[in-house]
Amino acid sequence: MVSAQSAEVGGPTRRRPPLPVKLVIAGGFGVGKTTTVGSISEISPLTTEADMTAASAGIDDVSKVPGKRTTTVAMDFGCITIDESLKLYLFGTPGQDRFGFMWDDLAIGAIGALVIVDSRRLDDCYPAVDYFERLGLPFVVAVNRFDGAVAHDLPSIRWALAIDEGIPLITFDARDKLSVRDALLVVLDQALAKARAAQSRA
Amino acid sequence: MTTHKPQPPERPAGALVRPFLSGASDDVEDHVDLPVPDGAALRPFLLTAGRVAGRRSIAIETQVVTTESGWTAADRLGFERRDIVSLCGNPLSVAEIAAQLSMHLGVVRVLVGDLSADGHLSVYLPNADASTDVDTLLRVIRGLRAIG
Repeated sequence: MVSAQSAEVGGPTRRRPPLPVKLVIAGGFGVGKTTTVGSISEISPLTTEADMTAASAGIDDVSKVPGKRTTTVAMDFGCITIDESLKLYLFGTPGQDRFGFMWDDLAIGAIGALVIVDSRRLDDCYPAVDYFERLGLPFVVAVNRFDGAVAHDLPSIRWALAIDEGIPLITFDARDKLSVRDALLVVLDQALAKARAAQSRA
Repeated sequence: MTTHKPQPPERPAGALVRPFLSGASDDVEDHVDLPVPDGAALRPFLLTAGRVAGRRSIAIETQVVTTESGWTAADRLGFERRDIVSLCGNPLSVAEIAAQLSMHLGVVRVLVGDLSADGHLSVYLPNADASTDVDTLLRVIRGLRAIG
């Protein structure tokens, strides 16, 4: 039995599940996505394997590619219980570009995204920035301060990434819980501003 | 009328014994290493009877809870289905089920869809508007600020 979150259908259940909301943690390979999730998640980051033949059914037809073997991709995630009826999930995107097919699964219905950047390898985050811009999902670019250092100043990074002035660019420390919390709050502020703008138009 | 009789392929000199019969595979230059199966003894499609699509509408954060019928039926269910039913006494997301049972996300989607169709699981599809709802966002903000 499948029921909408708002309506209870289909007999007694043990406990009413919380409303799940999700936030995407994106960025290139090795920028600190798993560290970020682990710093704030109340469970240690879990890894889910998604199988390409299943996840991309209808998009990539593996059967037509001779010798093509199934690709397996790992995705890290964690969660934060906001209150007993609301739970925030943090999903880290698989690092490599070639797993982009998974992103719709993660991003559609998400509150927003935190795009993590290593200031020494700025171009790694281009695919994520492009993707969220096109999807119209609220996002924030966050430079991970590895060892307290950022290789370039923020205006240079903004220029190099060609991101709009309206998109917040911040620095944070992926290992620090409060720093991660504050970065997520910036994403929430973006999402809230967008939701309020939509509400006033309606 | 000329008949085109198929000609037998020319036999390469010296290759009278096929490589795989010779038993001396070390001598064969283009010896192919078969891929070593990586971990899983069962292929995902065996668990899902060949289906790969699943219910696309079952988002990864979808909450799943076992029903009374699920508990009653648990002993009669196949391994993976029973594992899912046993795990979801308290609500769990599809992503957590996949992670805790080390199953592929796509497989979990298919099996959760089946179990829900049979009445063994309650599936609470996430409210699509929650992520753009001002009140919900304010609650998330309050919850995050409370983290100290």
